[in-house]
Order: sequence, then structure tokens, then C-alpha cells
Amino acid sequence: MIVLPMAVPFIVLVLAAILAMLGLRRTAVWIWFLALAVTVYVLQSHITDPLKVAL
Amino acid sequence: MNTLARALNALALVGVCAVLGVAFYWQIARGELPCPLCLLQRMALLGAGLGFMLNVRFGSSESHYGVVIVSALVGGAVAARQVLLHIVPGTGSYGSALLGWHFYTWALVAFFLIALFAAALLFIEAQFAEGVSEWRPSVGAQVLGWLFVVIALGNTVSTLLECGFGPCPDNPTGYQLLQK
Repeated sequence: MIVLPMAVPFIVLVLAAILAMLGLRRTAVWIWFLALAVTVYVLQSHITDPLKVAL
Repeated sequence: MNTLARALNALALVGVCAVLGVAFYWQIARGELPCPLCLLQRMALLGAGLGFMLNVRFGSSESHYGVVIVSALVGGAVAARQVLLHIVPGTGSYGSALLGWHFYTWALVAFFLIALFAAALLFIEAQFAEGVSEWRPSVGAQVLGWLFVVIALGNTVSTLLECGFGPCPDNPTGYQLLQK
């Protein structure tokens, strides 16, 4: 499984915030969805995360 | 957009920025680096802030409140996970406490209150009458929005410096990118 860097969801969310400020509302919401998905992926795939041990 | 709803959304956005600012202060001034779960909580807080920012920037929409509530639920789940991780006696804790509670405990309370606050704001039905397309943001809304972008960007750079391009350590002791 690919382990994404922790900064990836932050980068995607910053992109959503910038797009929102530039007036692209719907695109920003879709990009936020992507950031949320990446956050959940990072949560479950992060190999050093204690959640992995517990599960 | 209803004046009350606009003011409350702006207030919530200021609150989110303040919480992230305190976390940033703790990280830089006190040298306490956030753990992976702490970073994910920050991420969820930024998501909730984005929802409030969309309301301030474009006017109120149900989908913007959806962004807030879903982000708060995800953040609350991560914070609850971290609280449960340390709830067993002898398992210790992560980081120092603020007013008697650790940051992840505060985060759990904050996410619950954010979701509750956003749900309560949905009861102000007059805010949806104007629609988002007709809304023109004020200078204050623009400034607040860009302030949020800067804070989000700061967290991104900090996370990149701390964790680098690989997995983030459980107990980070330094900024990985600066050590290489």
C-alpha cells in the first residue's frame, strides 16, 4: 500500500481554500471532498500510526 | 445573507484561526511537535474552517455547512481515537496540557461544539433566501478568508518540514527536512 506523505491532504486543502478565495466555489467544495478522502486514506495507511496496531 | 448568520460564521472562522494559531504557537515557542494524529486533527479543523470561510466568502449554503459538519465528525473521530489511546492507566499521554486537558481532549470538545454550532446555524433559514450567486464579499470577508489561507499554508509548510516526504514518526523530535 502506498504511504502518502502527511502533507498531501494539507496541500489539497490549501488548493481548495485558494480556489474558494478566487471565486471557484463548487470546485473548492469538490477539492475539499478530495482532501477529506486523502485525510482518511492517510489515517488508515500511515504505518507508524497507533491505529494500525490497535486494529 | 442574513446579518446574524454572517457574523456568526465570521466569528467561527476567527475561532478556528485562533485555535490553529495557539497550536502553532505551542509548536514553535514551546517546541512541541504535533504527532500524526494531532496533524490529522489540524487538518480536520482546517476543513471546518473552509466551510465557514465559504459561508463568509460566498454567502450561506447548505453544502458549506455540510463541509463544516463532516470535517468536524472526521476530526472528532481522530481526536476520540487519540483520547482512547491514552485513556488506559499507565499508557501516558502526548504533549503537555493546557488548563488541565491535553490538546487532543480539547480538540474532541472543540469538534463536538463546531458540529453543534453549525447545526444550530442551519436553523436560521433567512440566510439561504439570498442565494450564493448574488453574494458580494466585503473587504473584511476577503481579509479573513486570505488570513485563513495563510494559516492553512503555514500548517502545510510546517507538516512538510516535520514529516518530509515519508511516513511521519509517532513521536517526532525534529523537523525531518531540516535535519537532512
